[in-house]
Amino acid sequence: MEYAIEATDLAKSYGEGHTRVEALKGISMAVRPGELFAIMGASGSGKTTLLMILGLVTEPTEGRVLLEGENIYNGKRFDLQRLRREKVGFIFQFANLIPFLTAKENVLLSLELIGIFGRQADSRAMELLEYLEVADRAGNLPEQLSGGERQRVAIARALANNPAIILADEPTAALDTERGLSVMRLLRKVSKDQGTAILVVTHDTRMISEVDGVIRLMDGRMVEHGDSKRQPQSQNGR
Amino acid sequence: MNLAVKDIRYHFFKFLTSTIGVGLLLMVMLTIGGIIRGIILDSSTITETTGADLWVVQKAWLGPFVEISRFPEDYYHAIQSMHGVAEASPLVMAWDHVERAMRPTQLMKFMYMNTLIGTRTMVEPGWIDMPHDSRFIVIGYEPGHIGGPPTIIAGRGIEASHYEIVADVKTGLQVGERIRLGDFDYTVVGLTRNMVGYTADPVIYASLDDAQNILFEADPDLLRNIRRRTQQQVLGAAALDPRIGGPLAQQASQIAENVSLVNAIAVKVAPGVPVDEVAQEITRWKHLEVYTAAREVNMQLMGSNRLILLQLSLFRLILLVIAGVVIGLITYTFTLDKLKEIAVLKLLGTQTRRIYAMILQQAVLMGLLGTLLGAALEFASEPYFPRRVVATRGDVVQMLIVISVIAFLASIMAIRRATKVDPRSVLGT
Repeated sequence: MEYAIEATDLAKSYGEGHTRVEALKGISMAVRPGELFAIMGASGSGKTTLLMILGLVTEPTEGRVLLEGENIYNGKRFDLQRLRREKVGFIFQFANLIPFLTAKENVLLSLELIGIFGRQADSRAMELLEYLEVADRAGNLPEQLSGGERQRVAIARALANNPAIILADEPTAALDTERGLSVMRLLRKVSKDQGTAILVVTHDTRMISEVDGVIRLMDGRMVEHGDSKRQPQSQNGR
Repeated sequence: MNLAVKDIRYHFFKFLTSTIGVGLLLMVMLTIGGIIRGIILDSSTITETTGADLWVVQKAWLGPFVEISRFPEDYYHAIQSMHGVAEASPLVMAWDHVERAMRPTQLMKFMYMNTLIGTRTMVEPGWIDMPHDSRFIVIGYEPGHIGGPPTIIAGRGIEASHYEIVADVKTGLQVGERIRLGDFDYTVVGLTRNMVGYTADPVIYASLDDAQNILFEADPDLLRNIRRRTQQQVLGAAALDPRIGGPLAQQASQIAENVSLVNAIAVKVAPGVPVDEVAQEITRWKHLEVYTAAREVNMQLMGSNRLILLQLSLFRLILLVIAGVVIGLITYTFTLDKLKEIAVLKLLGTQTRRIYAMILQQAVLMGLLGTLLGAALEFASEPYFPRRVVATRGDVVQMLIVISVIAFLASIMAIRRATKVDPRSVLGT
């Protein structure tokens, strides 16, 4: 298994007839374990749609997605919810931690979802919080954390299930440049240390310095892939 | 990790205030249940505590509680000697009153004021003043027979043949206090508790003779009048020999003045003898009406009492629906407040049933805690109600079950809303 995630000829359209909107057309891309890629593009370019498809939230109209070599949208009824909690980690723009859970409980929740409970879950949660240097805030509620700390906890939560891929939706948008870069460096570190493929949706070109490659979208089409050699062969011969 | 509990901990004040609101509503529901039970208990207390299997009353009358029933006292000797009768006890019972200034509490005054809101024009202007008449039920019985006070909570039972009474605490009388009933003064020698009639009027026990005097003795002027008229009628009816006519007229006037009447005879049936059999025997041979104890209770729950019970039941049902709507709306609002969290949970792959369980558990927990709070408040407030209110632990358990079901149904709306939450909504925001 060379790629953590691999998409071929992805297309996504909404509506029928005159109202049909093609959000994505012929997207093919691949990311190896331990790589950090940025998905960039203007508003409406299809970034979020691509994220949803890769995050197993929305099925593509056409195309194929292999997650750790497993064909996800192959017509069989996969339990996408289960695959999501076992193989995908999410990081959001505003961290989106569960406000009524402490930092540690937010991480524990992800562990519980994959069936890890008790001491094992406890030590794994603390290990992750220590790794992300927020262990001293373990007992604090999200509202008691700074923006940067929240994102660190969100990264810890995303890492908890030891996912094949982490999808980060504008994780630096709510932070100033310094903190944003700090988060990107952290994601860079995480991808290397944990061997996790990370895809970051971002508008901020200043963050590109930290990534291994950029997938650039325009009007639903991919106009740039960080490393064209890695781009999987299109089934349509494109 | 229980998400419902964690969420409640986080939104504690909101949950607490909502639960208090629900609790107060459920307190009213439990109180209405307590009032219903109180009315039924009031209507059955005398019948139950007397311990009689059958109540014998005047032919074609629904006595002795809801209609007047009078017949000669000596009937009971005949009934006592009938086959299957273990004990027959003649009873006198009727409402009476005394002029007695009450000492209203501040709460009672407040309740009077509250009653006048919107009804002031419907009552006499002086109605606000507390009534000066105390109404009660006098029960006369033969000491040693059934029909007397079941339990004395202070003082003692009636021992002397005359001028002693046992009163319920609700009369406001104290042991040793003297009270004028009819033409004589009586001493309170003992007190009972919760001995009231279906009208909630407290009971005063007296010996049979005393009760007959209190309830049947006519005014002396009226008696003289009756005596004179009866003698004149007897003497004028026939030209009798004065040697015969004189004593006859005197005897006739004595019959007219006779107070040796009873309102009912309480009958205890011998073990092993069918109650119906004895009832039929008495009806056939003595030309009296016989009712079972259960029928007596039913009669007291007729008419206005029954309508009050039905009215209260309907009100309780309406409150139950309101409680369901309130819990439903609160749960729905709670859910609306965390749609984003639900979307995140869904996106993280949280099992749908776990999210629904969180909503359901909160609704049920609110209902259960509200019930316990309502029950505590209801039990604490029972003594302050002017009429008997009796909620039981069974009522609370029943309410816990009912409210769990109501909360379950009420949370469906919130769960349906949660179902519609799209996990994609947290991406790109």
